[in-house]
Amino acid sequence: MTSARRRAVLTGIGVLTPIGLDVPTFWDAFRNGQGGVRRIQAFDRSALSTRFGGEVLGFDSRNYLDKKERKRLNVMGRTIQFAVAGAQLALADSGVDKSRLDPARFGVEYGAATIPSELEELGPAARVCANCQPGTVHLANWGGAGIGCIPPMWMLNHVPNMLACHVSILHNAQGPNNTITQTDVAGLLALGEAYRTLIRDRADFFLVGGADTMISPINMVRQCLFRRLSRRNDAPERASRPFDRLRDGIIPGEGGGAVVLEEFDHARRRGGRIYAEVVGFGAAFGRSGEAASHGLVRAIRAALAEAGVGPEDIDHVNAQGYSAVDWDAWEAQGLSEVFGGCGRPVPVFAPKSYFGNLGAGSSIPELAASLLAFEHNLVPATLNYKEPDPACPVTVTRTPQPVSRPFFLKVSFTELGQCAAVVCRKL
Amino acid sequence: MRKRVAITGMGVVTPLGHSVGELFGAVVEGQSGVGPITLFDAGTFPTRFAAEVKDFDLGRYVDEPQRWAHAGPNSRLAAAAARQALEDAGLLDNETIDRTRCGVYMGTGEGVQDFHHLIWLVGQHYQPEQRTLDRPAFIAGALRDFNPAREFEQELHTTTAHLADYFRLWGPNYNCLTACAAGGQAIGEAAEMIRHGDAEVMLAGGSHSMIHPLGVTGFSLLNALSTNNADYQHASRPFDLRRDGFVLGEGSGVVILEELEHARRRGAPIYAELTGYGSTADAFRVTDSHPEGRGAVVCMREALNDAGLLPEDVGYINAHGTSTPLNDRVETLAIKQVFGGQAYRVPVSSSKSMLGHLIAAAGAVELIICVMALRRGVFPPTINYEVPDPECDLDYIANDAREQKARHALSNSFGFGGQNISLVVSRY
Repeated sequence: MTSARRRAVLTGIGVLTPIGLDVPTFWDAFRNGQGGVRRIQAFDRSALSTRFGGEVLGFDSRNYLDKKERKRLNVMGRTIQFAVAGAQLALADSGVDKSRLDPARFGVEYGAATIPSELEELGPAARVCANCQPGTVHLANWGGAGIGCIPPMWMLNHVPNMLACHVSILHNAQGPNNTITQTDVAGLLALGEAYRTLIRDRADFFLVGGADTMISPINMVRQCLFRRLSRRNDAPERASRPFDRLRDGIIPGEGGGAVVLEEFDHARRRGGRIYAEVVGFGAAFGRSGEAASHGLVRAIRAALAEAGVGPEDIDHVNAQGYSAVDWDAWEAQGLSEVFGGCGRPVPVFAPKSYFGNLGAGSSIPELAASLLAFEHNLVPATLNYKEPDPACPVTVTRTPQPVSRPFFLKVSFTELGQCAAVVCRKL
Repeated sequence: MRKRVAITGMGVVTPLGHSVGELFGAVVEGQSGVGPITLFDAGTFPTRFAAEVKDFDLGRYVDEPQRWAHAGPNSRLAAAAARQALEDAGLLDNETIDRTRCGVYMGTGEGVQDFHHLIWLVGQHYQPEQRTLDRPAFIAGALRDFNPAREFEQELHTTTAHLADYFRLWGPNYNCLTACAAGGQAIGEAAEMIRHGDAEVMLAGGSHSMIHPLGVTGFSLLNALSTNNADYQHASRPFDLRRDGFVLGEGSGVVILEELEHARRRGAPIYAELTGYGSTADAFRVTDSHPEGRGAVVCMREALNDAGLLPEDVGYINAHGTSTPLNDRVETLAIKQVFGGQAYRVPVSSSKSMLGHLIAAAGAVELIICVMALRRGVFPPTINYEVPDPECDLDYIANDAREQKARHALSNSFGFGGQNISLVVSRY
């Protein structure tokens, strides 16, 4: 028997984060209030202005691939490895028998960001064109002797679509395949698009994920240059404090994850565990101070309308909560506009308080936190939330609290104004 | 009933013209946009030619070109093409439409890394014995030398944010980067957003330039580029036996997609209807397409099904046709599998023979060429077609444009990594 209307459910979770490389460890960190923001260990951080972040420790990509597939790791940068590992974990968690999936109905959609060159790979070529004029290189030497010093597959290490490509190849996923590159909202936009694709009957099974890293010398430099990062170098564990009055900037991080999004009957027929159903999605653009209304407000209202629920029906909001001075205030004002009049304070939970900003890898592990909250009937506390900020009129979770309603809302956005909202329902 | 999607505006910046009219005139004449690389000194590179955009002045399209001062060509070209398309659709300063229902979906490539500062610093601080970098020294140098604004503009969400912000398009805002399939994919997904009701108007397309040292380096290392430096104007020769790789191009193509009733109510020009979209993955190899065109076949079929068409309804195919030995053979094979006996009757051409490969922008510019071909009743040729390849034996509209009418055209885009996109446009 099939439903008249197609429905999309989440049936698998894989996470690779600063607080855990598997679901039980990840959840324990939330339950116990254990954050993963620390001083950077991967390289000598001394020259940076922000010397800490949410770093993934103990990740060995070989653990996630069969022996015969491991040679592929040579052409996978760290971000791609996170993506591939996350997909593997999500599939395993879903319990699906891969041999029974129809490849043509198996889609892959990822959020990804700029992946700068691996500097060491360019080293020998760069030396060939060294000259004594700072800031310029000997281009003729690069084109001549230099190019040959670079590994042939170099470019494929940092093309964003390689996350979804490698995942599709490893799992024979021949359905729709897309890579969304809207940085910190990319994963949630990818989920929204996969949800639409599945509902309109172009796929039955999706791996939706995201991965990113800022914990590398060049990415940390770039983040330090163009983002307002926290400078709380003396107390990294207290640096990520979304909506708190003493927040002082974004915490760079790395990691990612994936979820399995599956058609409801497809999941039911195979007896798959269902974490939640995706019932509403909305996206919009808009920064504060514009003639047009707040983009986040419009995205949330579109998602609620599609879900057929009102603000009062939402158990908790899973926030973007950057820990940024301006953006947290902007987000809180948007949330307050939607939820302010609904008769009860709707709890706001900010997962970045545990691991910082994982960039394009953020949205999916953050969503997973709420899926697990429903699974365990417990919405985690937001770490480091000590002093409310009048500029942030939201009710932030200070202690773990039981789930009281069957819907949660996940929101994400970028500092430029791309916004997305997803409503999930506990079945 | 499903909502229908009209194309109500188009804009381009390409190696063969900075307007749709100029571009289409040039491709019907069979012009080549290929020349020596002038954007940097490529004198010692394995490939020293490309199809560059010439004489581009952003100030002709926007009032505040300084807004894009630190942005890469991907963002600058997109702004110019978007301006043309919005103006064409009568939406530039249109206050009667709800701009929260107008979104952006681009397939825009990455910005350009600061090659000289980056490589100079790496060269200074690389320690060959240990094969590592002196990280603190590199970091200190990069913090000093990199331009923050220029670094930020390399982020992949900046192009569409500029478009939304500058042109006041407050709806959903997406960018996808699926290599050479991105522009087509963006248009297909944007059409789906209109069908679903997420927006009434979507500005969609692609924009990209990889004509910079690292871009040419990357493709050269993969042996993807033609190295026919001696005869560069004939280097892009899709389906010809002597093809030896693609020719890099740059540019942007943008269309305005609009819900059909919305377009009719406001009396917008309707250039064509976007009727079909197919999207699949080869799931085969990172660099090579599947030898039998597995993903491409299903993709074209999906697009036709989506449009409610049979293969014989298609009057023109704008091929991906990169001029690489593998793509053109596999695409030919895939077309034969989808079109069966019809395959030899449907004209196929590759605009890349003239424009080079615009990578993320290719699918968008080529879709616009399809719209113009349907409207004008002229199919642009595949130029440089001289020596038939026994494995590529379709009607490629060799060298001369052909006057012929069609109701429906199919446009293919296949990305490095295995993403396949097919779009169907139909006369309205």
